[in-house]
Amino acid sequence: MADKKKMSVADMLAAARKADGGGGGEKSAEKPADADAPAAPESVSPKASAAEEQPTKKSAASGERPSVADMLKMARGQGGGEKPAAEKSKPTAKSTAKPAAKAKPAAKATAKPGAGAPKDTASILAAARKTEKPGPMSKADAAARSDKQGAGKAGPAKQKAAKAKLTVPPMPTKPDYAKGKPGAKSKPGAKGKPGTKGRPARAKAGTEDRRGVMSLMFGSALGVGFTMLGATHVLWGLATTRFMFPNVLVEPPSRVKVGFPADFPQGQVVTKFKAQFGIWVVKGEYDGLQQIYALKTVCTHLGCTPNWLDAEQKFKCPCHGSGFYADGINFEGPAPRPLERYAIKISEDGQLEVDKSKVFMQEKGEWNDPASFVSV
Amino acid sequence: MHGFDHEHLESISGFLGQYYLALALMNAVAAFYVWHKAQRVWLAGFWAVVSTGYVMLSPLAFGGNGSWWMPTLGTRIEHFVNDMTGPVVYSLGIVCSLSTLFVFRRFFVRPVVAWTGLNLMLLVMGLSMADAAFASIVTKADNVPIVGLIYLLCFFTWLAASRAVENDDRMSRGLPPREKDDNEKVLVWPDLVYTEMICMIVLTAGLIVWAIVLEAPLEEPGSTVKTPNPSKAPWYFLGLQEMLVYFDPWYAGIVLPLTAVGGLMAIPYLDFNKQGNGYYTIEQRKFSYITFQFGFIIIWITLIVLGTFLRGPNWNFFGPFETWDAHKARALSNINVSDWFWRDVMQTSLPKAPSGTGKITELAYIAQREWLGLLTVLGYFMLLPPLMATTVFRKFFVRMGFVRYMIMSNLLLMMATLPIKMVLRWTMNLKYIVYIPEYFLNF
Repeated sequence: MADKKKMSVADMLAAARKADGGGGGEKSAEKPADADAPAAPESVSPKASAAEEQPTKKSAASGERPSVADMLKMARGQGGGEKPAAEKSKPTAKSTAKPAAKAKPAAKATAKPGAGAPKDTASILAAARKTEKPGPMSKADAAARSDKQGAGKAGPAKQKAAKAKLTVPPMPTKPDYAKGKPGAKSKPGAKGKPGTKGRPARAKAGTEDRRGVMSLMFGSALGVGFTMLGATHVLWGLATTRFMFPNVLVEPPSRVKVGFPADFPQGQVVTKFKAQFGIWVVKGEYDGLQQIYALKTVCTHLGCTPNWLDAEQKFKCPCHGSGFYADGINFEGPAPRPLERYAIKISEDGQLEVDKSKVFMQEKGEWNDPASFVSV
Repeated sequence: MHGFDHEHLESISGFLGQYYLALALMNAVAAFYVWHKAQRVWLAGFWAVVSTGYVMLSPLAFGGNGSWWMPTLGTRIEHFVNDMTGPVVYSLGIVCSLSTLFVFRRFFVRPVVAWTGLNLMLLVMGLSMADAAFASIVTKADNVPIVGLIYLLCFFTWLAASRAVENDDRMSRGLPPREKDDNEKVLVWPDLVYTEMICMIVLTAGLIVWAIVLEAPLEEPGSTVKTPNPSKAPWYFLGLQEMLVYFDPWYAGIVLPLTAVGGLMAIPYLDFNKQGNGYYTIEQRKFSYITFQFGFIIIWITLIVLGTFLRGPNWNFFGPFETWDAHKARALSNINVSDWFWRDVMQTSLPKAPSGTGKITELAYIAQREWLGLLTVLGYFMLLPPLMATTVFRKFFVRMGFVRYMIMSNLLLMMATLPIKMVLRWTMNLKYIVYIPEYFLNF
């Protein structure tokens, strides 16, 4: 059995091919499996023990051709691999004391002469797939299939085989690394400091526990993980705090000096403060009074910035076509109300000073407020 | 445009030459198909002649520099089109032409007619491209999707209509619709998933090519004091932007879009017509078909096209061959219903609350000022539904019940406010029916 453990993949596939020849030729496989599961294996190889037949029978009992997984399992079983099916076969093979492995290929080879030449892997895989009907399965199909499987499981052959296999395989001897752990665990637990008694992080065999907090933090994967998580949270919190204080001047100056009243030409809209301060300064007439006032350069419709069209003497918004006269009154387009005024006054040095912190709305009658204009 | 810009002609001639060659190839394939499959020799000959015509146009376009031989629409036609197109002509013209298409759909869905229409559209497109103003708008990277959208929309509308006409004919002869004949079930895998995967790959490849060929229309950095002129929304919002021209933001920007979404979701619950499930038909679902086509093609797509191609600087209306002049003078003084009533009809000033009065008095004055507009709006939404229930929608009211009928009729009326207000603005310079700026309530 020792040499079988080193079975290569090629060998496995070869064994699988043989199994295919024995377990079911391409088309004849389903018939014996369905008709009478117990009869087929006996007639095929009366000498072989139940254990040898086990993989074949298993697949036959389920009413299907052996799947690829089954085949590989079977191949491993011959090779004495770690799969449970293989382990099961081992003791029975021993108990019957027959040269099982040798007998099997022979039996398989003689089993189905009609199956002919060994097939290549592709055809085996194709055949294995073919048994599974492709595409969606109706409820009736599913029911029929499960019935078949149920019947196969309840069949006498399966029961017999199960009884024969009931012998429990011996547990493998524990490897050294597995033995060492419980001993190491109990020892330092007894010797170590009281606070850290019995901690699984203390798994290192034979080491004295002198590290306290450090071992608590880094002693296990869980400790490392939570430490990293905590550190990340702290950094994230710091970054968020920093984010709350951006590198910008929070408030631009709201008071702007725009020059002396005498410098403004009569009846004209001065647009040179628009780009920097967002205001138009106008020396014009409103309500029959000559005034200087500062208009906010924001359209009252949806907040775009209109342009002053000197030829047409109007403010025109490029977004939806609202139009305003030089005094800020809306007359075309969708803007619902006039432009807004900023507070304006003459400062101590005689210059005009616009205060952008206060706005005056015409529709509320605020343009009569003396803070909203400078009389000339 | 005045004459033709030689610089522009040189830059576009290569493209136009290839364009006409492509059209020639397209028609040659069609001729071959008609001759080979359908065995209609005369028709095949006709398309072959058309194809030859395109082949002859191609070298003229390639030549490009001499405006004598360049295939164009001609200055006179372009001027005529520019003068003719205004918002009213444009919108009502589209409504009329779509109605014509609908009424005579049996004629227009015939493949020969549809193919002729496609050829005409493509030919006019090619001829117009020789105009610098037209080409600069159409070939703008932002606008190329809209050009594609127009052709795709035409194609799919035609496809659905031709299927529907075919089914209607079959059903009038007592046959089941075509979709019922081949209702063989197909599998999700591979039939559907393969199709989806191929679509995904083709679409991704197309997007990559598009992204490489057409450069992204990046502009200068944004500024709070400088708004680009014209300032246009992304193309799919241009319909919304156009709506905002006619209504207050709260209505056109919030109420109407939300109502549209909610109304679309309500359709399955309002629809009582059990027919037309799983196949194309127009006859059996005339009301649904017309309502949808009106809401989608007229109110949404038409406005997108209008916003893309016909709105220029300062949101002024420009003809398709007109240069976008930022100083186009267009004096428009819009008036409100209250202005019209008190100033023009009553010859007095508007009622205004004396300063220092309380809220209630102020509200009373506002109500007095706006009484005509308020009554109009209330009557529109409250009187019209019962009126329609007793006249045009009598059957609907009986079959739908009170609640469902009221919801449907109000949705319809809200949808109709848009074209009504647009036409009123264009024809009568009407600004707002109800104008209460004190409370930001304008309608």
